[in-house]
Amino acid sequence: MDATKTYSMKWRYIRQQAFFAAVRLSALLIALALGGVLLYIVIHGIGAISWEFITRPPTDSMTKGGILPAILGTIYLTVGAITVGLPLGVVSAIYLTEYARQGRIIRTIRIGINCLAGVPSVVFGLFGLGFFVVFLKFGSSILSGSLTLGFLIMPTIIGASEEALKAVPQTFREASLALGVSKWQTTLRVVLPAALPGILTGSILGIGRAAGETAPIMFTAAAFFTAKLPGSIFDEVMALPYHIYVLATAGTNIEETRPLQYGTVLVLVALVLGIDLIAIVIRSYMRKRKRW
Amino acid sequence: MADASIITLRNVNFYYGRVKALTDINMEFAPNSVTALIGPSGCGKSTLLRLLNRMNDLIDGTRVEGEILFEGNNIYSAGVDPVEIRKKIGMVFQKPNPFPKTIYNNITYGPKLMWSNNKSDLDDLVEQSLKQAVLWDEVKDILHKSAMTLSGGQQQRLCIARALAMKPDVLLMDEPTSALDPISTAKIEELIEELKINYTIIIVTHNMQQAARISDETAFFYLGRLIEYNKTEKIFTKPDVAQTEDYITGRFG
Repeated sequence: MDATKTYSMKWRYIRQQAFFAAVRLSALLIALALGGVLLYIVIHGIGAISWEFITRPPTDSMTKGGILPAILGTIYLTVGAITVGLPLGVVSAIYLTEYARQGRIIRTIRIGINCLAGVPSVVFGLFGLGFFVVFLKFGSSILSGSLTLGFLIMPTIIGASEEALKAVPQTFREASLALGVSKWQTTLRVVLPAALPGILTGSILGIGRAAGETAPIMFTAAAFFTAKLPGSIFDEVMALPYHIYVLATAGTNIEETRPLQYGTVLVLVALVLGIDLIAIVIRSYMRKRKRW
Repeated sequence: MADASIITLRNVNFYYGRVKALTDINMEFAPNSVTALIGPSGCGKSTLLRLLNRMNDLIDGTRVEGEILFEGNNIYSAGVDPVEIRKKIGMVFQKPNPFPKTIYNNITYGPKLMWSNNKSDLDDLVEQSLKQAVLWDEVKDILHKSAMTLSGGQQQRLCIARALAMKPDVLLMDEPTSALDPISTAKIEELIEELKINYTIIIVTHNMQQAARISDETAFFYLGRLIEYNKTEKIFTKPDVAQTEDYITGRFG
């Protein structure tokens, strides 16, 4: 009896160790994959990085010079996408979680939003081309690109905001309503502040995605090359992801631009990881303050 | 008592969807008194309490029949804004639920939205409310610290102070001490004694001794019906209904 017991304990221990090893291994593989990609990009790209590279426009048919217009363009488009996507997304999420009567219609809308999140980004690009660029006559511009990217990241923002709003304890709402505070004020002053960390992290991750997308801006905002920096939101811009695509496929001398391609990729990756890092810092800061 | 009552329920029925939670309730609450609602879990006493400030409105699919009069007006008649009702009928919940804000801002949250932004008015109100809730001495030096740093008992008294800052006429308390230790409970019971002078208090409690200690009137509910409503002394010494006696002596429930 005792012997079988010891045996089964031992066997359990072995199984546990095997399982832990498997878990550790898969975590390690993911870290290695990311590290590998990053290392590869850094090794090949670091040579191209210089002060000139990030402060000068391209020269000599893009075989020399920098990528300043593309960096600025990506920043403009990202800020534009936030301006469009964040308010619309947060307000939609507030409606869906706080106000709408949960039922078939709301369920349908939710399914719609989830589907939207799964729509390939090139489809958003074509929609932007048809609707903003052609139909509304915004042309290929920062405005069209920002609107398209804004719509692209909106499902992500709605999803993150809904989760964050749902995580706010019901007791907060009750406490406020029981004081004779209206529902709108309750939402604005109690629910929204409590949900803000979650909304921001989710949104910033969405923004990171917007910064790296090529297809949606290809038809709506991005220029192959612009001599001047953009002067208004109706101007075309260069953008990092599209610039990479251009250098790698459509340049006059693809081989000669290879170092510049890696350099641009490095800048883009640094930008996106930087944005994600901001999200992580905000989240951990706000989590420390949150206690309920 | 009929003329003097502050809240009157007439033939009240209440449904969660198809489930009937309260059947034909007729009650009158006297002003400046403490009324305890007792009964086994699920008997409808919390439901009744939440009817009085229309908190059940927040739950989808609920339905009220009958009349609930507050100072003579039916709070469920069309055109009555529940927000206005809740300003006059405050509520303290089972679990302390301060906002994740400072102690000061917990108190001023409602008044700021409702009346004034005048700093000295608000300062006075904070002091007055916290004194009323017998919390002032413990927190006067940490008013701008998060309310979440307080102990459970302090948080509950803060919630009472927050409700008092709105200057209500009635205070509804839903098992306000069930999550607290005996010392905090004793403090809150003392507090209720004092508040009775200025407010009408209706309290749901599972604690029979508590009901006997603090209330003037006691109402016993069972299966959604009001079984007996009498002077507390009478309920706990020789109740009219056998069921009441069985419950308070611990023979069931």
